[in-house]
Amino acid sequence: MSEPVTDVTEQNFLEVRGLHAGYGQARVLQGLDFSVARGEVCAVLGPNGAGKTTTLRALCGMIRGRGSVTLNGRELLGRSPEQAARLGVAHVPEGRGTFNDLTVEENLRIGAHLRTGSGWRGRARRAVVAADLERIYGYFPRLRQRSRQAAGSLSGGEQQMLAIGRALMPRPALLLLDEPSLGLAPLVTRELFEIVRAVNEEERTTVVVVEQNAQLALDIAHRAHVLEAGRLVLSGPAARIREDGQVAEVYLGVSVRSRKAG
Amino acid sequence: MSTITAALGTDRARRRRAALTALLAAAVAGCVPFYFAPFQVFQLTMVLLYAVALAGLNLLVGFGGQISLGHGAFFAAGAYAAAVMLDRYDTGHLATLPVAAAGCFLLGLAFGVPALRLRGLYLALVTLAFAVFLPPLLKRLEPVTGGAMGLTVDKLQPPAWSGLAEDQWTYFVVLGVTATALLLARNLLRSRVGRALRALRDNESAAEVMGVRLSLHKTLAFAWSAMFAGVAGCLYTWVIGFVSPDSFSSVLSITLLAGLVIGGLASLYGPLLGAAFVMYVPSVSQDLSEAAPGVVFGLLIIAVMFVAPTGLAGLPGRVLGAVASRLPRTTAAPATAAPDRTPEAGPAPSTPSTPADPAVADTEPVGAPPRTERE
Repeated sequence: MSEPVTDVTEQNFLEVRGLHAGYGQARVLQGLDFSVARGEVCAVLGPNGAGKTTTLRALCGMIRGRGSVTLNGRELLGRSPEQAARLGVAHVPEGRGTFNDLTVEENLRIGAHLRTGSGWRGRARRAVVAADLERIYGYFPRLRQRSRQAAGSLSGGEQQMLAIGRALMPRPALLLLDEPSLGLAPLVTRELFEIVRAVNEEERTTVVVVEQNAQLALDIAHRAHVLEAGRLVLSGPAARIREDGQVAEVYLGVSVRSRKAG
Repeated sequence: MSTITAALGTDRARRRRAALTALLAAAVAGCVPFYFAPFQVFQLTMVLLYAVALAGLNLLVGFGGQISLGHGAFFAAGAYAAAVMLDRYDTGHLATLPVAAAGCFLLGLAFGVPALRLRGLYLALVTLAFAVFLPPLLKRLEPVTGGAMGLTVDKLQPPAWSGLAEDQWTYFVVLGVTATALLLARNLLRSRVGRALRALRDNESAAEVMGVRLSLHKTLAFAWSAMFAGVAGCLYTWVIGFVSPDSFSSVLSITLLAGLVIGGLASLYGPLLGAAFVMYVPSVSQDLSEAAPGVVFGLLIIAVMFVAPTGLAGLPGRVLGAVASRLPRTTAAPATAAPDRTPEAGPAPSTPSTPADPAVADTEPVGAPPRTERE
């Protein structure tokens, strides 16, 4: 926090240059270039199979990629997920990935796995983790009520809250959200996005959110990138993309305006 | 607010209940050797000793989601380490325990590295190979291990001040080691390391993304697990006073795994139940059928797995769940929605899994009994 921050890292806090990635023979990403400023919420939109999830997976080290991805000036590509996590990347995978046999609180504590804090031993670490637990319960009061329940017994919305809460436990520098709205009721999704917005505003966490529901994502995002077939086809401030109904219709396959009206 | 105070209340109540249970168990365990015949005390000692090995296997299989068909080999390694130390170096019993523990920990660590690359059936096969190859090796290393004849060493002897018979003293020593080992396993599972291990079992990639080092924790699971098996082996030497390659055939490894599954995977007291099964059922089946005890043993395993697919430890929960679902809804609801249900209490009988329709689920009051209970 106290280290001097140059303008370059402020604006290019996350910088993706010529990112190629895929699965075996299948080349999904064909050279992505974009950057995200510190404290910004960036939405990555696009139709099915455009490479949105692949982008996040490459950022967090789950799959390998070519090119360059730097976070705060440090290269992320070529690192394992665990090393990326050490550098401050927190990934909420598609389908939540909660640990269903563990209790809610244990799930959150896994989020603090790397929180060895300043004092490795005993009290200092425990105090840090306890404070972080309180912080997460503050954002998600429902998790506090369920803290001793097995994560598998939660509803879909609560599991998504848990997955996000778990990712936020270590106060990550970069939060990657993969389809948080997947399979959730609209009201629940809206609540979740409001919480993400609140976290972003209070903690200045940089967020990259991948969404099929363009409307929702654009509501909380500062900038948006539209992917198609592994390439960026459109980038710009979220407000402009939201207002540009024609663009949305062409690239996102939905009419943002008519949805808003309906 | 009220939920917080309620949670604290149940927390304290749970702790008090746990302390009470532990006290009661200690009292019963302390009285046992004075009310039973020496042979029965010996059998109970063996149950305790197997429980240590099963608790170790439970760390690996139940909580780590890996598999080992070679734990008998770690058991044998611990037993032989103790026997060789007693036989050749005359070290005294107590010194053999840390050596067997540390040695098997390192052995498990060495074994955990190749295990990283294998899973499921492949891992089962490799660990089985370890169990198969150890007895012939022990026979070949005759100068150290005594070859096929094995080694006969001193059993534990009660000190004069205790005034106890040999079987009683042995029982108490093994009881002490077992209690310590089970407590250690429990605390390990609740620690940061244990949590990471269970997270890896539940969802490997999600755990890695949270910064859990897969290789480190999987290898450590093998090492801890082997250490427990080694301690059990060491106790075996203390109790029996004799080791030979034939005592540790590959059947032992399979029996250990079977015992664990029957007792209850990922349950804290499953190893004790499984150990009792491993100890008593073969002799019971011998009584039932002189000609084919193996058949009776096998049939009993099948029977237990039918009645209690989650193991003996999960049986009370299943029975309670079945009873609760037959009761009228009004009385069943508080039983299933009890806020102090913990994962340690065995698999919850009526834990509703993620419902297919999240839109409905989100409006559903939590803790309500699953709708499928009554049409």
